[in-house]
Amino acid sequence: MTGNAVRKTKEEVRRPVPFRLLKTKDGGADGSVRRAPRRISLGYVDYSLLLTVFFLAIFGLIMLFSTSSYEGGLKFGDPAFFVKRQLAATLFGVVLMFALSIAPDYRMLQHLAVPAYLFSAGLILLVLSPLGYEANGARRWLKIGSMSVQPAEVAKIAMIVFLASLVLSMKGKIVTWKGFAFFLGSALPVALLIYKVTKNLSSACIVMGIAVIMLFVATPGYKRFAAMAAAGSAAVFGIVYYILHYADPSDSMRFARVLAWSDLESYSSGTGYQTLQALYAIGSGGIFGKGLGESIQKTGFIPEAQNDMIFSIICEELGLFGGLCVIIMFFLLLWRLMIIANNAPDLFGSLLTVGVMGHIAIQVILNIAVVTNLVPNTGITLPFISYGGSAVVMQLAEIGLVMNVARRIKT
Amino acid sequence: MAGEGGKKKPKFAVWMRKKLVVLFLIVLLAFAGLGVRLYFIVRDNSEAYKRQVLSQQQYDSRTLVARRGRIMDANGTTLALSERVYNVILDTEALLEKEEYLEPTIAALVSKFDVDAQTVRSYIATHPESRYYVLRRTLPYEQITAFRDLTNEESENYDPLITGVWFEESYRRTYPNGSLASSVVGFTTSDGNGLYGLEEYYNDTLSGTAGREYGYMGDDSNPEYTVIPAVAGNAIVSTIDGNIQSIVERNLREFNDAHENEWRHADGAHNIGCIIQNVNTGEILAMADYPDFDLNDTQNPEPLYGRPMVNEYGNYVRDALYEYTYLTPELLSTLDNDLLMQQYNALWRNFTISDTYEPGSVAKPFTVATGIENGNIQGNEWYECNGYLHVGDYEIFCHNVAGHGSLNVSKGIEVSCNVAMMHIGNAIGVETFTKYQNVFNFGLRTGVDLAGEARTQDLVYSADEMRETELATSSFGQGFNVTMIEMITAFSSLINGGYYYEPHLVRRIVSDSGATVRNIEPRVLKQTVSQATSDRIRLYCNAAVLGEEATGKTARPAGYLIGGKTGTAETLPRHLKKWYVVSFLGYAPADNPQIAIYVVVDRPNAADQEYARYATYITRNILTEVLPYLGIPMTETLTDEERAELEEMRAHPYEIYNVPIEGTGGEDGDSGANALPDDLGGAGEAGEGD
Repeated sequence: MTGNAVRKTKEEVRRPVPFRLLKTKDGGADGSVRRAPRRISLGYVDYSLLLTVFFLAIFGLIMLFSTSSYEGGLKFGDPAFFVKRQLAATLFGVVLMFALSIAPDYRMLQHLAVPAYLFSAGLILLVLSPLGYEANGARRWLKIGSMSVQPAEVAKIAMIVFLASLVLSMKGKIVTWKGFAFFLGSALPVALLIYKVTKNLSSACIVMGIAVIMLFVATPGYKRFAAMAAAGSAAVFGIVYYILHYADPSDSMRFARVLAWSDLESYSSGTGYQTLQALYAIGSGGIFGKGLGESIQKTGFIPEAQNDMIFSIICEELGLFGGLCVIIMFFLLLWRLMIIANNAPDLFGSLLTVGVMGHIAIQVILNIAVVTNLVPNTGITLPFISYGGSAVVMQLAEIGLVMNVARRIKT
Repeated sequence: MAGEGGKKKPKFAVWMRKKLVVLFLIVLLAFAGLGVRLYFIVRDNSEAYKRQVLSQQQYDSRTLVARRGRIMDANGTTLALSERVYNVILDTEALLEKEEYLEPTIAALVSKFDVDAQTVRSYIATHPESRYYVLRRTLPYEQITAFRDLTNEESENYDPLITGVWFEESYRRTYPNGSLASSVVGFTTSDGNGLYGLEEYYNDTLSGTAGREYGYMGDDSNPEYTVIPAVAGNAIVSTIDGNIQSIVERNLREFNDAHENEWRHADGAHNIGCIIQNVNTGEILAMADYPDFDLNDTQNPEPLYGRPMVNEYGNYVRDALYEYTYLTPELLSTLDNDLLMQQYNALWRNFTISDTYEPGSVAKPFTVATGIENGNIQGNEWYECNGYLHVGDYEIFCHNVAGHGSLNVSKGIEVSCNVAMMHIGNAIGVETFTKYQNVFNFGLRTGVDLAGEARTQDLVYSADEMRETELATSSFGQGFNVTMIEMITAFSSLINGGYYYEPHLVRRIVSDSGATVRNIEPRVLKQTVSQATSDRIRLYCNAAVLGEEATGKTARPAGYLIGGKTGTAETLPRHLKKWYVVSFLGYAPADNPQIAIYVVVDRPNAADQEYARYATYITRNILTEVLPYLGIPMTETLTDEERAELEEMRAHPYEIYNVPIEGTGGEDGDSGANALPDDLGGAGEAGEGD
């Protein structure tokens, strides 16, 4: 009897706990039901992941307040203007995160992949409708009631779900060149929509980047990726070379950004201004920074510092030390995501996690590379920290998905 | 779990895990690269960027203009005050924040401030980031209220679309009495600094301390402002009595009008100056020169017309025949800007302190005082005047070339005998004479509290330079130069018992709130002569007005006894015998002097200029009004003749200036006319305009 009970318990723990079991407190005649609190536990909870995410979100709010209070006070008469809105989005995101983590099995999403894909594409197209609205010179938002949504952010999570599902559907066919092309090509329409409709090249690139990373993990071998990397590098080099030698900065904003990147000082009054000011912020912060709230550069010198330049203010106020701490926190986050992906109960869960990991990694790397002028200014935000309601909600939702996957890890 | 639902689930294969680890390592590498990049930025550029960040700081700070203090006359009448006015400032960047702001704002600007819409538009187009552009300057409050109403949220005319316009507070200096005491008060430049007169001399007192508004980052990174308020300047209360000043100015103007274009097509004289001083305090009660000018409109060319033209050094322009050039509208229009400014400077300067001239016979009481004070003469000496005296290689004439005959010291003053003075000067000797010139402050600045007092040190002879001829001419006031303020201040000491008071025009400095900051008390600088000498000189000077043959008879106002001395001085070159500076230096009442008065008519516009009556008439007219005003009672019974004269004066106050001077005989012809040989110059050869 005792042995039997032990065996049954083990069985229960190994098996993913169906969602409906959580509600059955009265249970059946089986004695084990009396131990319901243990059996209907949340499963594996990666507290390191959770703490890291909370740390980043709260730290982000603090830094956002510090960074944006000047502009908020100046433009809206309320220093907490930005942080209030971000706090609301973060709270909503946290609720969504927990809901998704305890929601029905993530595997259900496999069936929702195509609708999610179409839904996100539809949302992007809605920007063209009267629901869309323009801010800061770009039409990227949907106004639904009092909420504003950036469809590109929704598209990223939808793409992760869709591509993870696609890997499973394609099975072995994915390993061929044709499979590669199909896989990447299926992400392309959404990326193009993001680029063409919302004029948001960076989000489009992130979508494609996520696709490449998921493909990289989902297919064996390195040669093709090395070849793709080489070809990509060559293309980038060629384009940059062309821009630096033949292009006129007045032709295109993107050309101008590349030119400014190559020689910040010469473009310091125009395109290069923001990045140069960000470098001044980082440099002037020194090792330990000027102290929280003491940034000078946020006071009008770095335009919209709370968006994609917030990392430079972190460095200015908290120094190289603070900047490296943020990088280490993201490193921890990605490490936990890798652990979860490696231990996920199935391929779909792993790929979902890989997608989230890729998404966060790309944004962190590109964002910091921009503020340190390693790449031209792209307008990519720092996950969990930069101002942007849709972004933080969707990023927390992605973490919620990962937690849903993690819950089902056999321990 | 395997086999649950009977379907094998694809697993995350080992090679996938490996690839994921590879991916993670790539990311790690990228993170490390970013960290290294951050480290290098901080290591290599920390100091430079810190400096750069600080140098970019332009804490928004704004100077708050302090209200300049008032200038009041002795009665509390305001001579100068600063009114609050507003500059209309356009902030293009704020205006262009939303497109819908543009049109309503421009429309409002055009309708409320009468600005040219086209100008504003083109400015906005060319300067989209400008934050400070002055649309209109110095508008009084009433003119901005209409626009303010549009931007005031509580007003019913409020239009939220009107933006990007604000008002900068400023002050405008105004002079409610226009030209009253113009060269005494002075004026201010557009940036608020005093120019000429009290405005310049008391600039620091009047200007106050500018405040500042600092923008800085508050604790919660709010832009905050600290205001160090401007401290309004102190007001000054002048000793000038606006009533006396107007009486004086009116008389100078009437004199000018009577003689304008009489001989030359020009003003009534090159300069007419008058100072009235309290002999017992040194306070200046009135100080005026003609022509005056409107302090609210200093660059109005009107007062320039008829004035002798000056060159780029400020000296009068004279042709080969020593004729002056007089300014006309046509001539003015041909002048370049620098030369035009010189004409204005000549107008704005205060003749009574800035111009020097040879005093002539008004210096004679000083010569006598020097002699008596030192015991060189006793006062009972008799001299023989044959009409000239041979001094050195020259024959120096008396103005009465027929000679005064035998006369004593008192008579010498009364008839203004040059020969008697030369004898006295000879008795005094060069050493004592020059020493006493110094005692009387000739050649030194008086320290009067006005900007622009002339330096006369090189314009009197030093003991080394003075030979017997120079001593002789100096004894009757030729050959050295003085300013009016020097002369009257020294004369006051001569008749008040010897107390040399520092002349001053400001009695009190008052704070903005009305509290007295400083009282300027009368200050005795030195004792020039003894009481006894002073009493003697007063007797002589009384005789010079009241005596039988007195040259200054015509200066006496009906009903009063006054003393004084006339003066007529040749100007250089002497051989012309054409251009004279005539004057009267006197005091009233004769027995107990309260005020001293000095009137100088510099080259009256007349063919025959050598008559002191040009000055004595002015003196008499002024005193006739001023003495009753000062509450000094008449001491003499009026004769019927005088009564009629007073009646006549009340009816036609300035008729006297139209009385022809030449026909009335030579009783006041006391000048150095014919006195000096042509080649006898003056100390330093200084003429006018220095």
